[in-house]
Amino acid sequence: MAQTNPPFLTGVPELLVLRMLSGREMYGYEIVKAMRLVTGEAIGFGEGVIYPVLHALEEGGALKARRKSVNGRERVYYMVTTKGKRRLEHLSDEWKRVSTGVNSALNGNGADGDPEHA
Amino acid sequence: MRDGQFESLRLELLRSGVTPVYVERTILELEEHYSDLESAALASGLGPGEAARVARATLGNERAIAAAILVHPQLLTFSTRYPRFAQCLQSAAAIGALPGLPLMFCIEHRPELTRWVAALGLAATLMGSVLATLNWLIVLPRT
Repeated sequence: MAQTNPPFLTGVPELLVLRMLSGREMYGYEIVKAMRLVTGEAIGFGEGVIYPVLHALEEGGALKARRKSVNGRERVYYMVTTKGKRRLEHLSDEWKRVSTGVNSALNGNGADGDPEHA
Repeated sequence: MRDGQFESLRLELLRSGVTPVYVERTILELEEHYSDLESAALASGLGPGEAARVARATLGNERAIAAAILVHPQLLTFSTRYPRFAQCLQSAAAIGALPGLPLMFCIEHRPELTRWVAALGLAATLMGSVLATLNWLIVLPRT
């Protein structure tokens, strides 16, 4: 393979968060609920770890945050910026490329480890 | 939500050099998230104790949350990310501030300094007067 994928494995939470927020602004609990729903609870994690991902994306300019008081609760809503949309496109392309490769391997191409049989 | 529930996490993050703004926001968001989870558990029919336990487990343990934060260097303070460079800057700032320190001291302790100058002036005046008087008493009769 010509390219390496260092951000691939570590970029999955980032990809999912950006995808969830591409439709509308949400706060942390909503994001996690949406992620569980759309992934069919396939990805298990302690929900508290969503916040470092959100904060890092915000620090990188991919998200914007604003505080809103809703029914006496202090919520921090996140929304995707233009830079975040570009990042989502990039991560989506990366994911599709890698998952195509993994699917291809799982479907038996080169299953014996011999490249000539691939 | 119990007050200070995430206090140990807050302290650990601050000690590890996470930017205070992010620490406070993380704690606020975790508290809100916990409340949402607890409410959902209560609404599903669980008792208060069990709801709290489920909420806590779903949120994840504090050590894992702290570890997840610390892998993002952009969430750390400047001095934690670049300790040597920060030390150099601090030293340069300290050297730069040295000439201003006496002035700052004087401004800060203005009342004490005023009293001290007044006392010194009074003492000098008294001593001068005594010496002048003695001089006059000793020297003048001879002339």
